Amino acid sequence: MRTYLYDGSFEGFLTAVALAMETGGPCAISNETAAEAGLFSEFVNSGADPRKAAAIRDLVEKRGSAESWHHTRYAFLSEVPGAETAILEYIKLLREKGQAADNMLADDRVKKVHGLAAGVGGEAHRFKGFIRFKELSDKTLYSRIEPDHNILPLVTSHFRARLGAFNWVIHDARRGKAALYFKGKLAYAPLTAARALEFDGKEEAVQALWRHFFKTIAIKERLNPGLQRQNVPLKYRRNITEFDRQ
Amino acid sequence: MELQKKLKILAESAKYDASCSSSGSDRGGRGTGAAHMSGVCHSWAADGRCISLLKILMTNECVYDCAYCVNRRSNDIQRTILTPDEIAKLTFEFYKRNYIEGLFLSSGVVVSPDHTMGLMLEAIKKLRREFRFNGYVHMKVIPGADRSLIDQAGLWADRVSVNIELPTDKSLRLLAPGKTKETVLSPMSRIARMITAAKDERRSIKNTPAYAPAGQSTQLIIGATPETDREIMKLSEALYDKMALKRVYYSAFVPVSKDSRLPALMDPPLLREHRLYQADWLLRFYGFKADELLDEAHPTLDLSFDPKTVWALNNLHLFPLEVNKAAYADILRVPGIGVTSAQRIMRARRAGPLKLDDLKKLGVVMKRTMYFVTADGKYGGIKKGTGEAIKVKLLERENPNSQLNLFSEAALAAIGYDAAQTQALTALVKAGIAETVAGQL
Repeated sequence: MRTYLYDGSFEGFLTAVALAMETGGPCAISNETAAEAGLFSEFVNSGADPRKAAAIRDLVEKRGSAESWHHTRYAFLSEVPGAETAILEYIKLLREKGQAADNMLADDRVKKVHGLAAGVGGEAHRFKGFIRFKELSDKTLYSRIEPDHNILPLVTSHFRARLGAFNWVIHDARRGKAALYFKGKLAYAPLTAARALEFDGKEEAVQALWRHFFKTIAIKERLNPGLQRQNVPLKYRRNITEFDRQ
Repeated sequence: MELQKKLKILAESAKYDASCSSSGSDRGGRGTGAAHMSGVCHSWAADGRCISLLKILMTNECVYDCAYCVNRRSNDIQRTILTPDEIAKLTFEFYKRNYIEGLFLSSGVVVSPDHTMGLMLEAIKKLRREFRFNGYVHMKVIPGADRSLIDQAGLWADRVSVNIELPTDKSLRLLAPGKTKETVLSPMSRIARMITAAKDERRSIKNTPAYAPAGQSTQLIIGATPETDREIMKLSEALYDKMALKRVYYSAFVPVSKDSRLPALMDPPLLREHRLYQADWLLRFYGFKADELLDEAHPTLDLSFDPKTVWALNNLHLFPLEVNKAAYADILRVPGIGVTSAQRIMRARRAGPLKLDDLKKLGVVMKRTMYFVTADGKYGGIKKGTGEAIKVKLLERENPNSQLNLFSEAALAAIGYDAAQTQALTALVKAGIAETVAGQL
């Protein structure tokens, strides 16, 4: 089977979708860094072609709808192995059925992509709550996150609306990149190891107040650690102030 | 007293208020903070309850002596008060670190209701004006405070609430000697009128300030007094219908004091609280009336089954429902189908007829739903299933390990079955299982 390799960018991925649909027949799409060489597979580098990518977006939005485009974009951000090929199948179905495709909720192709997109949207929403900032000595607010999916681009506008008066950094340590918000401007940049951070003098005291509050607010006659774990999975806890020392 | 100590005392006293919601408002603009229409939970405490707001009392001093309340005058505990400045600063420092969505400010009554509410308002105004804070604020109204103070509350807060706490006047008189139904309900109806008036006015004059845009809520304590579930649900229904409340919270009574007026409770009635929330959801999102769920002969919610399942079992003549044809309002009433899956069914059936296997993929809880629907004419439940037989099947599925217990006479007696009923039930179960097996072959 033929596998189209793309460079990891969304544009590259859409180019791969365009090539795969031109060829027809069964094929797969994979990030060039993640691809495993199979004995019987044939690899094609798809590059990134803005016009091809735009044509796919057009197809998804016009044959499908704004909703289809939302699912496509979010499912791509899932970075789950196999997501790319699943999206390709979904777009093929959109081409064939048009808007009716998004109604086929029990169809495995639709269910898969809708599910991936919902997972990404869900994690992005969770992180609007889970992101914890620490104040650095220069008053910049710094947050470290390690989400399963690439949700960074989905949470920045939320924090822009709230913390527009501050400078802040949200650092996705898992992907080695960061959203940097300085003086009202937002930029994304690679960020692998943040140098040893120097915190504001009050930071430790505020954290202590918060930990205190967090402990006190639980009603001991109702302790329910299972429910707590369900809502705040262990994998996120090391970056959440009130859990990071437990 | 240092801030940490104050925070501990005042959070300790505020934690029994169940409300944590930060939804329903989309405040924003210049300054710091915004509110999110759907609300955001920031953490979950060790009791599994969501933390979205800095939930705190301004003071735990109180002139009242309500038996159920940890802050009652006669209770020998350490008392303290936060200044408006401390409240505003603390909220802001927590908010900018994204610990919280905003502030939930309640208070004991210090000096007088007016004095107390004046201080609370000062804290919130400070937060809004000096810190230019646009995040969420939920403010408790102090019963008995002057109308002008109540009117102001909704202008500065996103949500205002008055806790009813005890569902009947009789219970209030018994346990909360300083309060009556009147002192609680009159600010509630005032707030309801203000909300409606502001909404109407905003339709014609855009820049009319919003009044409590996230609406009004209240709380009822469950299990401290002998009200039935039916009385509670009828009250909630009236609050939703007549006062347009956003939420009624139910708080299982945690005995915070030993008082001869209170029942001797070992544990807070958490399951009962859970069933009340389920019934409440049925009122608000599923089109049920309280009378359909509970009547005078059956004033108590069944602890073994959710209230929708109980309703469906009592109305088996309406089922099974064909999911490809039934109206949305009827699909909503099927056990195991929530609002989301009902909407999905409506959407998916436009693309083609749904089969039983498809329902699971749409998120329907088939172990409950199977007894109440057909899909494309196929039925997956028990043939000639009576209510009792379905109950037994449901219990088996919920808790397969207790299957043996279920058949023991002692267990059945405990839930109120006499010998004849037990025998009949066992026969029905056997028949039910036989039918199911035959159906599969």
